[in-house]
Amino acid sequence: MLGLEFPPINEILRWQDVFSSFNKIALIAVAAAVLGTVVFLLAGSKDATVAPKGIRNLAETSVEFIEDSVIMQTMGKEGLGWTPFLLSLFVFIFLCNMTGIIPILQMPATARIAIPLFLSLLVWIVFIGTGLKHQKARYFTNLLWPPGVPAALKPLVGLIEFFSTIIVRPLSLTVRLFANMLAGHILLVTFALLSEAMFQAKTHVPLLNIGGVLPFFMLVFLTAFEVLVVFLQAYIFTILTAVYIGSSTHAEH
Amino acid sequence: MLTAVVTQSGSAFTVHLVATVPPNSTAEQTTSSEPMLLAANEVASVTATAEETIKPGPSPIAPELKEVAWGGGSFVVFAVLMRFVLFPRLKKGMDARYAGIRADHEGADATRAEAKAEVAGYEAQLAGVKAEAAAHIDAARQTLEAERAARLEVVGAEIAQHRAAATAENDAARAAVQSQIESAVADVSGRAIELAVGKRPDATVVARVVADVMGAGVSR
Repeated sequence: MLGLEFPPINEILRWQDVFSSFNKIALIAVAAAVLGTVVFLLAGSKDATVAPKGIRNLAETSVEFIEDSVIMQTMGKEGLGWTPFLLSLFVFIFLCNMTGIIPILQMPATARIAIPLFLSLLVWIVFIGTGLKHQKARYFTNLLWPPGVPAALKPLVGLIEFFSTIIVRPLSLTVRLFANMLAGHILLVTFALLSEAMFQAKTHVPLLNIGGVLPFFMLVFLTAFEVLVVFLQAYIFTILTAVYIGSSTHAEH
Repeated sequence: MLTAVVTQSGSAFTVHLVATVPPNSTAEQTTSSEPMLLAANEVASVTATAEETIKPGPSPIAPELKEVAWGGGSFVVFAVLMRFVLFPRLKKGMDARYAGIRADHEGADATRAEAKAEVAGYEAQLAGVKAEAAAHIDAARQTLEAERAARLEVVGAEIAQHRAAATAENDAARAAVQSQIESAVADVSGRAIELAVGKRPDATVVARVVADVMGAGVSR
């Protein structure tokens, strides 16, 4: 009989600390920041006068992606000053996500809630700060009661706007990234364990061992799918950040 | 004596009480399912031991401070570096290259405009030359026409002259032949009349009649 014991959730999410205040998630986060820095440093050191190729091409493509597909679509030309922040957000999340499908590491740092939560709170502070900078104290009144709201609806709209903007935005940013990456990680673990268990099962039915290729193929497919998820989640987080910051700069939003 | 053995499976913890007396016959019983004949203080002791042994990991969705600190710190450092060092260097190079490309495009546009102007000038010159050539051709054609007309006139005059001469010659020949024929017809007619009536008619009259008849025949 095939016996498959799924490991405890903490076993697939938490790893032995490297030292007491530094674990694998911290290691991945630091590695993502270092890798991002090295890539852009190397790209910046290449000859800029000729057509970009290799690492410079990669860096310039990511800059143009953020400018054209994120900022110009949400904030317009006046939002181009936010390129460094949004670029670092995208690159950092992307690299933290990517470790989920890199052999040996095989753990997206964003599948733990710490990093998504920190980034969401940072974005929350940034878009509220931007709103205060552009609209001064009227930011909060404009936020709660967008221009044109009838007086009778103000209490209801104010309540809804308060919750949706102040509470739900950081929460949804956090949970969306964290839950997607955690679900992807658990799925990969599930199919990897199932493949291993079926391949190694001591059974009188050899077909069961051969059948292990099915979850293995599913594992391969899900790994490829996870590449898309990795990119998509980084993009969604970044574009929503741009939308929130853009909406803070104008009262009509 | 009973010993508490704690095993973890997922988030569930199971406590087994293992009796060690007698030495070679171990009996396992769970605290939850099997009522144990233990003294109250023994039960309390077992529970306390189990609680000390169970150290559940933190909630999988609870943020750990060290992860927040390292993750957040890493991002902040990266973002600051990106804002003040990495992005400006990269963007400066991109802007310089795009400015160069833009300048090249503008240079190419200017060159294209110059080339277009030159082509337009060349085409204007070509049109002038073509017009001049057409004028020359027209003039030559008119000259040729005039010469041709003059030559035709001369040739026509020559032909008319020749024709007049030929006509005159022809008329003279015809007149000569006609007088001979009239003479012969008159002679034959006089002879015929003579043979018919036995008397020769006046030659003058016969000649006049023949001339009239032939003249009428010619006109007919």
